[in-house]
Formats: sequence, C-alpha cells, structure tokens
Amino acid sequence: MVSANNGNTPSNGLLVVVSQGQSRSPEKRELEETIATIAAGLPNTTSLVVPNLYDLAADSQSVDKMRNWSGPIVILSWLFDRAAFWVLDRNEIRGQLAEVLLLNPDLLADDEDEDEDKDKEDEKAADRVTSISARPARNIYSIDMRASGSGEAFEVEFRRILSVEQLDAPTKDVLSLERFLNPTNSTALSMDGSGRLDILSNAPASHESPLGIVPMRMDEHPARRWYPVIDYSRCTNCMECIDFCLFGVYGVDRGETILVEQPDNCRKGCPACSRVCPENAIMFPQHKTPAIAGAPVDAGGFKIDLSKLFGAPERDEDPVAAAARERNEQLILAGRAAVEIPDPTDSKSTATMERKGVAPERKRDELDSLIEQLDALDL
Amino acid sequence: MSEQLTFMMGEFAAEFPCDRLYAKNHMWAMPTSNDVIRFGFSAYAVRLLQDVYFLEFAVEAETILKNRQEFGNIESKKAESGLYAPMTGQLVRINEQLLEDPSGINVDKYGEGWLMEMTGDASEMLSPDRYIEHLALAWDVAQRTIKGQANAIESNEE
Repeated sequence: MVSANNGNTPSNGLLVVVSQGQSRSPEKRELEETIATIAAGLPNTTSLVVPNLYDLAADSQSVDKMRNWSGPIVILSWLFDRAAFWVLDRNEIRGQLAEVLLLNPDLLADDEDEDEDKDKEDEKAADRVTSISARPARNIYSIDMRASGSGEAFEVEFRRILSVEQLDAPTKDVLSLERFLNPTNSTALSMDGSGRLDILSNAPASHESPLGIVPMRMDEHPARRWYPVIDYSRCTNCMECIDFCLFGVYGVDRGETILVEQPDNCRKGCPACSRVCPENAIMFPQHKTPAIAGAPVDAGGFKIDLSKLFGAPERDEDPVAAAARERNEQLILAGRAAVEIPDPTDSKSTATMERKGVAPERKRDELDSLIEQLDALDL
Repeated sequence: MSEQLTFMMGEFAAEFPCDRLYAKNHMWAMPTSNDVIRFGFSAYAVRLLQDVYFLEFAVEAETILKNRQEFGNIESKKAESGLYAPMTGQLVRINEQLLEDPSGINVDKYGEGWLMEMTGDASEMLSPDRYIEHLALAWDVAQRTIKGQANAIESNEE
C-alpha cells in the first residue's frame, strides 16, 4: 500500500518513522498503527510506516525516503534504541542520538548506573570512531515501542520533541489533530456536506496525505536478515571482529574504518563476533539475549526464557569460548573445517581475554544467575 | 487419536496422544514414511509458550543437526526460547506454513502445526508413559524457573 500522495517528500519538519515488528502479535500491530496515526496528526510532522528497519536493504524505498530527510527523525521500533539508531547509521541516515524521555520500563532500573557511567571519563574517547568521523548535528530520537502500550504516552513524547526542535507552533498551513477533532468557531474551518473538513483542494504543504492525518506507507516486504550492527560511538577500530569472523562479513572503508561490508554473508543466528568485541560495540538486534541485542548493560530479560526447559545444553563457558564454539558450529554447517579452540596460554587469545576482563561483570544478567540455579537443579 | 494420557500442569490438563513418541525437550515424534520422523511441540510446550507470534529457523532442510543443537528460535506473547534438535540426524523438511503464520502451533499442535521432519536415530525417544514420568520432574523445575524469572523481571521494573 503506497499512499495516494507519495510524490515529493518535504524534508523539513519532523519525520516520525514506525518500524513494524517481524512478529504477528496483534497488540504490536495495533500499537504501531495508533502511533503512526497520532504522529500523522501532529503539526510539522510526517508519519511514515516501514517494514522492520533491520531487514531493509540499502536500496529500499523506505531507506531512500529516510535518507533524503534533512530534518530531525523519530524512529520507533521493537529494537533497543541504540540498535535502531545504528541500523539507521549504517544506511547513511545519520545524526546524533538524542535524549528520549519515553523509555522501556524494563530498563529504568539502570538509570543510576548509566548516570554514573556518564560521569566517568571515557579513557578511549579519542579512539572512538565517532570522534574521528563525526556524525551530523541533526537529532535522531530512537524510541523502543516496548516503552508503553498507550498511544498517549507517545503523543506526549512527540510533542515534547517538537518543542525541543522548535517545531511545535502550528503554521497556518498545518492542521493539528486537535483542531481536526474539535473544530471551534474561532478556527472557522469549513466543512463539506458529510462534516469532513473541506481542505482537500488546499492540502497543507507539510503533510503528505490530503487530510494530513494518514501515515505514508512503503509497499515493501523484505525477507528477514541477520547481520551485525556496529555502534561506532563504542568501536575503537581494533579489528578483533574482522580477524575473528571467517565468513567475510567485515571489511574496511577507504579511511580504514571497520564496516559490515557483506552483511548477508553472516551466519543466521550466530552472534560470535559480538562476544569477542572488547568494547561491546557489536549488536545483533534480533538476538534473544538483551546484552547482544543492544540493551543497556545489566538489563534483564523482557520475556520468560524457556530455552533451558526446551533442551538448551548446559554450558559453562566464557564469552571467548562461546564465540569459538558458535563459530565452529557455523563453519561445520557451511561445510568447512572447524577451527581449533584457542589455547588460553596463546598470547593473542590471552590478550583478548584480558581486554574482555572488564566485561564479564557487566555482561552478566538475571539469566546467568537463573541458569546457574537451573544447573544446580540437575535438569 | 482415541487414546491419550493427561498430565496436570496446575489447573491445566495437558493431553498427550498415545499414537506417537516424545522427546525430552517436549516435542512429539511421529514416524511417517521412509525413516522420516515428524516433530512438533507437545501440549506441555505449547502450554508454557502460549500464543506463538514468531518462529524462525536458522538452518535449512538437509542440515545435519546434533542432539540439542540450537537451530532457531520461537517467541510467544509471554516467552521466548531457542529451538533445540530433539535428536541427532538430518533435517529433511520444515513446515513452511508455520513461518507464514506460527499460530498453527496453537491451533493444531498434534496435526497441521507440526514443526519439522528429520531422519536419524530415534532410539532415545520416550513412550507416552515414560514421557509423563519425565514431565513430573520437568514441571517442578519449570515452575521454579518461571517463578524465578518472573520475580527477576518484576524487580527490574520497580
């Protein structure tokens, strides 16, 4: 379904993009629709519904629309906010990750820790890829739709963002949702015979659709994809990932910065490279472990994980061993020879372990302690 | 399905037809033809999962799987899990219909909602009687696990 009026996209004002989930949950679909409709009715706002952001190819229409937008963007997805932001970045839809007040409640417990982290000097600040290759100043607001089930909460946040961006004053060309729903004498809007606002012939310039309250939709149905997404505000270009991956996923650009060059070479389900990254900069947004999917450190699970009950093997391994095992499983699946698991006394793997040394505490989550309890139960 | 066994999961009566075998990871196993065994989720698994919204296979037909190897994942309204091979063998077919609409698992778990077909050594599969015995232990662990995780999620929300 492409909307009737998808010609020239104005690239000022606020673009609100709703990225649809892969799952067929009716609650999720309903919330997506509610949010897109609310956004479409706001002043100076264009509402766009796209398929799951992560699955979009670089040449997709949806990506093209977003790439041509020069104003601020709000991206709503079922991914962690950081993951969605860096998926946009890899598609050259870039800006600064701006503060969002509507947060996934499961992550709120981490607020204090995060503030502490912010206060800490980042010793490697100068090494981060974003310090070397700065992103444009425009704001990108990434909202995890798990933040709230109520459309109102999203509307409040959109209005706050419009105010921050100084886009909240309705111009005479723009019809706000309130005025549409509650026309008063003073606004003196004319109605057609059926009571609808008679503005079809004089569509507001900053809206796509005739009434300004219908979101734009992209007629695309991309296949599910699986590939790593790099958080360049963490990445120090250390090249551990390109050394580790044996499937040719990673490459470097002309400036010798690491990039995910052949995303579709990646082995579905394999998150091994994210485990060897010393900076936890590699995310697999659809991985079931929140820490790998881009959740803040120490965030708990959002759903009950039944893996242990459904036959997941018991394992007691560090991230490096897990990564080596996962890589071997993929090599065998691809009909290639497995690689010997690195000897911990080997100098290179020791280096990796040491750098990883800061991470284990942070990577532990509720699931880890639960699994330990389960192991103790001798399932 | 004339004969079946029942296992009480609290108030819920989970039923297990006797015309097939069961794997310890809560899949049923039914030999079809030419050594091909069809697998699907047992009533116990479906009750734990409830409404399934998302199913993904990380492998394709022809893949050789080791017992308990992770080959995909499943997500429902309340829960998520990896998918683990019920035995060592070759994956021969995936129920493509479930990829379109995984709710088939809830609608007809012992029929059209089957998951996949494999060839291999099914000697470790349990008879319905043995599976019910296994459930008595598994259910105990499952309750503790779910309670533990639910508490963890709640305390995170506070």
